[in-house]
Amino acid sequence: MGIAVMSLIAAQSASSFPVLNALILVPIIGALVVVLLPNSRPELMRPIGALFSSIAAALSLYVMAQFSIHQSDFQFESIQSWIPSLGINWHVGVDGISLWLVVLTGLITPIVLVAVDPHHDPKPYTAWLLLLQAGSFGAFLALDLFLFFVMFEIVLVPMYMLIGGWGYDDRRYAATKFFLYTMAGSALMLVAIVSVATLSAGDQSVTFSVVELAERQALSTNTARLCFLAFALAFVIKVPVFPVHTWLPDAHTQAPTAGSVVLAAVMLKLGTYGLLRFGLYLFPEASVWAAPTLATLGVVGVIYGAIVATMQKDLKRLVAYSSVAHMGFIVLGIFAFTTQSLEGGVLQMINHGLSTGALFLLVGMLYERRQTRAIEELSGIQSAAPIFAGFFTVVMLSSIGVPGLNGFVGEFLILIGSYDTRRWWTIVAATGVILAALYLLWAYQRVFHGEPTAQDQETADLTLKEGLVLAPFIIGIVFLGLYPKPVLERIEPAVHNLISHLEEHSDFVEPDLGQPIIVIDHSSSEDHH
Amino acid sequence: MATQNVLAFIGPSVNWWALLPQMILLGAALLILLVSALAPKQSSTVFVTVTTVCAAITSYIVAMGLWNDVQRDGPSSSIASAFGIDGFSIFFTMLILIALAATALLSHGYLDDEGIDAPEFHALLLCSAAGAIVMASANDLVVMFLGLEALSIGLYVMIAMHDRRQEARESAIKYFVLGAFSSAFLLYGIALTYGSTGSTNLIHIRDYLGAVVFRDQHLLMAAMALLLVGLSFKVAAAPFHFWAPDVYQGAPSPVTGWMASVAKAAGFAALLRIFFAAFASHRIDWTPIVSVLAAVTLVVGAVMAILQNDVKRMLAFSSVSHAGYVLIAVQAATDQGTAAALFYLFTYTFMVLGTFAVVGAMGRDDEHPLTNYAGLGRSRPVLAIGFTILLLAQAGIPTTSGFVAKFQVIAAAVNNENYVLAGLAMVTAVVGAFMYLRIVMAMYVDNEENEDSIPSWHWTTTVVVIVMVGFTLLAGLVPQFLIEFAEDAVPILIRG
Amino acid sequence: MVELVWLIPTLPLLGFLILLATGHLLGEPRAGWIATAFAGASFLATFIVLVGLLGKDSHGGGRSYEFVLFEWLPAGSLKVEAGFLVDPLSITMALFVTGVGALIHLYSIGYMHGDEKYSKFFLYLNLFLFSMLMLVFGNNLVVTFLGWEGVGACSYFLISFWHQRESAATAGKKAFVTNRVGDWGFMIATFAIWSALGTVTYTEISNSPAMSAATGTAVSLLLFVAAAGKSAQLPLYVWLPDAMEGPTPVSAMVHAATMVTSGVYLLVRMNNVLTDDALLVIAVIGATTALFAALCAVAQHDIKRVLAYSTVSQLGYMFLAIGSGAYVAAIFHVITHAFFKALLFLGSGSVIHGMHDEQDMRKMGALRIAMPITAATFIVGWLAIAGVPPFAGFWSKDEILLAAWEQKNIGPLLWVVGLVTALLTAYYMSRQVILVFFGDQRWDDDVHPHESSWTMTTPLCVLAVAAAAGGAINLPLVKDWLVLEHFLEPIFHHPHHFSSGTGTKIALAVISVAAGLIGISVAVLTWMKHRIPTDRLEPEFLENAMYVDASYARVVGGPGTSGFQKTADFDRRIVDGGVNGVGRAIMKLGQLIQPTQSGYMRNYAVAVALGALAILVLLAWGLLS
Repeated sequence: MGIAVMSLIAAQSASSFPVLNALILVPIIGALVVVLLPNSRPELMRPIGALFSSIAAALSLYVMAQFSIHQSDFQFESIQSWIPSLGINWHVGVDGISLWLVVLTGLITPIVLVAVDPHHDPKPYTAWLLLLQAGSFGAFLALDLFLFFVMFEIVLVPMYMLIGGWGYDDRRYAATKFFLYTMAGSALMLVAIVSVATLSAGDQSVTFSVVELAERQALSTNTARLCFLAFALAFVIKVPVFPVHTWLPDAHTQAPTAGSVVLAAVMLKLGTYGLLRFGLYLFPEASVWAAPTLATLGVVGVIYGAIVATMQKDLKRLVAYSSVAHMGFIVLGIFAFTTQSLEGGVLQMINHGLSTGALFLLVGMLYERRQTRAIEELSGIQSAAPIFAGFFTVVMLSSIGVPGLNGFVGEFLILIGSYDTRRWWTIVAATGVILAALYLLWAYQRVFHGEPTAQDQETADLTLKEGLVLAPFIIGIVFLGLYPKPVLERIEPAVHNLISHLEEHSDFVEPDLGQPIIVIDHSSSEDHH
Repeated sequence: MATQNVLAFIGPSVNWWALLPQMILLGAALLILLVSALAPKQSSTVFVTVTTVCAAITSYIVAMGLWNDVQRDGPSSSIASAFGIDGFSIFFTMLILIALAATALLSHGYLDDEGIDAPEFHALLLCSAAGAIVMASANDLVVMFLGLEALSIGLYVMIAMHDRRQEARESAIKYFVLGAFSSAFLLYGIALTYGSTGSTNLIHIRDYLGAVVFRDQHLLMAAMALLLVGLSFKVAAAPFHFWAPDVYQGAPSPVTGWMASVAKAAGFAALLRIFFAAFASHRIDWTPIVSVLAAVTLVVGAVMAILQNDVKRMLAFSSVSHAGYVLIAVQAATDQGTAAALFYLFTYTFMVLGTFAVVGAMGRDDEHPLTNYAGLGRSRPVLAIGFTILLLAQAGIPTTSGFVAKFQVIAAAVNNENYVLAGLAMVTAVVGAFMYLRIVMAMYVDNEENEDSIPSWHWTTTVVVIVMVGFTLLAGLVPQFLIEFAEDAVPILIRG
Repeated sequence: MVELVWLIPTLPLLGFLILLATGHLLGEPRAGWIATAFAGASFLATFIVLVGLLGKDSHGGGRSYEFVLFEWLPAGSLKVEAGFLVDPLSITMALFVTGVGALIHLYSIGYMHGDEKYSKFFLYLNLFLFSMLMLVFGNNLVVTFLGWEGVGACSYFLISFWHQRESAATAGKKAFVTNRVGDWGFMIATFAIWSALGTVTYTEISNSPAMSAATGTAVSLLLFVAAAGKSAQLPLYVWLPDAMEGPTPVSAMVHAATMVTSGVYLLVRMNNVLTDDALLVIAVIGATTALFAALCAVAQHDIKRVLAYSTVSQLGYMFLAIGSGAYVAAIFHVITHAFFKALLFLGSGSVIHGMHDEQDMRKMGALRIAMPITAATFIVGWLAIAGVPPFAGFWSKDEILLAAWEQKNIGPLLWVVGLVTALLTAYYMSRQVILVFFGDQRWDDDVHPHESSWTMTTPLCVLAVAAAAGGAINLPLVKDWLVLEHFLEPIFHHPHHFSSGTGTKIALAVISVAAGLIGISVAVLTWMKHRIPTDRLEPEFLENAMYVDASYARVVGGPGTSGFQKTADFDRRIVDGGVNGVGRAIMKLGQLIQPTQSGYMRNYAVAVALGALAILVLLAWGLLS
């Protein structure tokens, strides 16, 4: 840490209310409160839980409101000495990249708590969801590698418990697979974390501060590349990127609706976020070195995920594989290293959270009504439940990437940004847009169109409560589709920061935007507006 | 002249104050035996338990006093520098005393239920505790051996005491015979050490090895090898671990906990004293061997653990792999590594005692199939979550002491650039996690309710579990105090 | 007045929102009237804007206005605005889109009578109109793409409007996915343009220097892929015939008058990036499509399928025009086609309505008595499309043929193809008219054909007038009569001028008229006078559209599906199997060393001894250090 941190700590004591710490603590307190509630009052658990997670949500919105645009470095920073003898601090902060993920995490959890009835053991269910929220906040806010790893790993437990405790028939297998697969991914990352910290210490004191390590860049090329690979492994499994994606369909299919929603909306983002914050930021040279491979994997994921999704017989599995495809776009965007592609990538994290989260909610509602997710057992739902079908259609179109809805904005920015640096990857990835239409519309046709059977005929339409639960998603989907500017302009400074960091520490140069790729002019490659 | 010679004998100066902790324990043991002999009526289980716990507490207080002295005046040694009074020894003294109190409390309910003679059991417990302390503090190989035997003999009997159970006696025999076998190696190693260095005193050995350069050091190497074998057996490192699963399974749960925590801790204390401190100058020779042992131990422990269906056997193999982690710290042969080892052993003691507390309580007439735990998450949520925390701690999941311990071990390995071992450790951790998850899974996912109340559930167990879980979380969230404690304990046998 | 442009798309959007909120309450017919009102209002707004535009000086950029509402996608140097571009081209398109659109809204009020999703239908119609207008008025490629995909989505909704019908659902899906192929081209083209010129705004694109030949051609072809998807050109036309599953007003509006012409609009809008090589390709494909579709139309029995194929064929004409560089001719034909094809579709709808949802022409005949207005108007449409002067179709088609004739590389050939197509068009349309309205009645007696309500016939009449006199907006020969051409002039860098002398022009015109008449007379001889055996004129091969669609289906259903399935299996067996394999391998390893844990002390002792030996050896001989 050294003087810099010491002074920061000193500054802390004077500074104002540490909202980010509160953000992490409130859900934990909520969980404790819920645990202490009397078992005789099961009906209280979810409301209380929702209350606490809403407080957290309000705090995250406060952060969003107070977040100053056009400021590229971390805001609301808060740093306390934690394990001084290991050089570890409790260090949290937020920038344009993490801001929206924090907001998303804040908003999703209360909605899920309100929306989904666990049917049994509401107390632990609520507590785990709250802890999940806290952990996710922590992971997105952490600026200390140790702290990040703690959060990155700890979120596994609540999700494991949710899948295991409230999942479907095959939950035992799915939960274990989920836990071990992700843990295996992060195993080597811990070694890498320690290595980075110790090796880049040199004569200075050991630190785990992301910012400081990123500044030091003290590792030799090869060491950095090895460490990057260790980090990347953890993250690509989390994203998940082909070919390490197969835990996802099982986890999604077996998880209870709440689990699926949070998994899709929040936890997968830990992977892409990690690649941005720790991959590119800590190992710029190595990222540039590995970019072609990772971008290729991303594109393969786009096509492959879509193809496999097309053939799924289980609606939830289909959505899960669509996630693989969508996250592939984000990975491509991240490793194209242009302002547009990175902004699109970050934005697409939010979009995917909204649309896929909503899809899982809808599928869950359908399951509540019909006790099945098998596509061939459903048909003609639209005649029985037109409003439900309408909501589903909007979300589906957003997932397909129809302009005017959020999905398009992200995909478009990613692709137009990637076109300069990764032309052929982009051209191939764009075909994923065709496939997306194929598998989603085909599924929609089989489930919602056609003549309803007697059973389908009884399928109840959307209740008011369900409508209110879905409303935020729909609003988000439309708003981000029509007016993403407020989001983008907050992302942009951080992204510029990241790119200039890349250019500073590697031979990569962002192509002079909008000009042919051949033109390489460092002076005008950045701040081109 | 002859008379002169006779009279000329002057015993070594003894720092009685430094020996007080062990003496208190032995005193307590004697007291228990006397009372049980003279007034059988009064020697109820309650009485003996209270006595043991009080003994533990008092000597802990003494140890704390000693700690302050050492921190103030630096380490010293007593009885012709055969007995070290340094942070290291006191650290282990404290650890052992905590384990002692916990084991006493755990055995309380157990002894009553199983109709085991409490006074004898506790007397033996106290003796082996004293032995363990001696072993951890010995600056002389012979004294160390004494301590080891005191510890072991106590254990042999404690295991066998459950005379109604075939398995108990079987495992006692196994432990005894194999223990004797390994002790032989240790003893021979001591002899060879004497042969090659002319002393059994660790301080002398260190100074000698530091000063002298051997032309032919085969003898010394052989000595190291045999000492390593003997101690590896005690800490259950592969391939000397085979006894562990059988013995752990057969032994009464409180004794298993005692074995897993104290025997291991004392063994590692001796290992570190001999190799890290005395053989420091020859670390190039022994560190590779130890890292190989560590690797083998990690793999065997993890891979075997996931095949077991008896919870006690699972935990036995998990304790094997934990030995592997500590060995990683040992092979680092640095102060950081040693501190990591101490931290690991200290936290591990809490985890393992808590775990076996629950296991013992959950056992139905000492059978421990996984099915016992089915639906525990429903029927006993608090217990279940406590147990889950302990298991996740052993798996090394963050926010538990287990994670911080693993983290430091990895850091130690990375620091002397043993990345392979570090990586292997993390990978085996994942494999091992599968085994802990199976137990958690049984508690939460398997919902076949078995509401029949847990057989031997005593409030003392509750106390122990709460303390252990609490500490595990505490040391996981704010480990600084414990890390400092371990770091302060590292300087070993500075002066004669 | 020009700045009122935002009203034009907003009005239908408003209608959409109102119906979305209250549609089910309004019900029939109020929902229909509201939707129609907003469509009509939008038409008025367009007219006002037109008047405003005409007031401006036509020289230079005098008639090109941009209105930016807000920044849509600001990212780095990429600035995509939600903005409108008002210029002669967009206003021309908007005029007939809103005009025809409003009429079809009106028509639908009667046509959709009694449908339980009555209000929803109009909701979609309004949404469609909104999207179409965004497409037309967008001031940059991305906004146009918004409309582009919007109309695609709406056509999906409308085609599968009667979604209980499996065929309708499938057709909708097919339309959307096929269009997506085109959209892919659109997106890549956009990327390429941005990467090459650093802008996606039309005005900036047209003012920026030309791209390198390769890029330019690539972009042009990609744009044509997009156009081919939307405007149903070979090889992506297959969705359009199936789209007839939708209600007839939809076929008239979406799949004849407006949406399908947006491909033409796009290429005209981007005219100054199109390279000659690309234009040649476009011309050839256009001509081929025209001929191909005309041939298919010859042998159809479904009254709507004939019109569908005829639409594909006419669109082919338009691309032939673009390929020959005659953008004005293309737009001219877009407009006239909008008039007479909408008229024909609505007419057929009225017939189907009167015949109680009978669509097979073999079960019709002599309907002119039963439904005179429909018949009269339909005949006007027929004369227009057959290219009989002075009806609208003649003028536009004549210009296209002239342009084809003047095409540098293979002009005459293109002209011949166009001519043959014209002949065929005249033939199959006459065949349709005869089969439907003349001859003897072939319908069962329980069917009682009747004329439709006024809401349906009024649009017919209006469109009939337009189809008859529509040519007036761009009469050749006399300079000042070329109203449309002069009006559109500003949007072209190098306005296209016909080089042929008046003589040639007249000659070509005469020939094409002759071709038309031949076609008609053949039809008359065959279907009225029965001089020629009919069966030989309806070969299986043509009835099944040369099996193009069928072979697509076979590929998708065969190799396609199985390939996908194989991938899915690969995922389950290999990828996931591998993961579980690792777990199993570890278990195996354990079982391998399991036996050592025999429980026999002797073995344990041996193990200890061996271990000791190993360590002894390793240490004593320092093998590791």
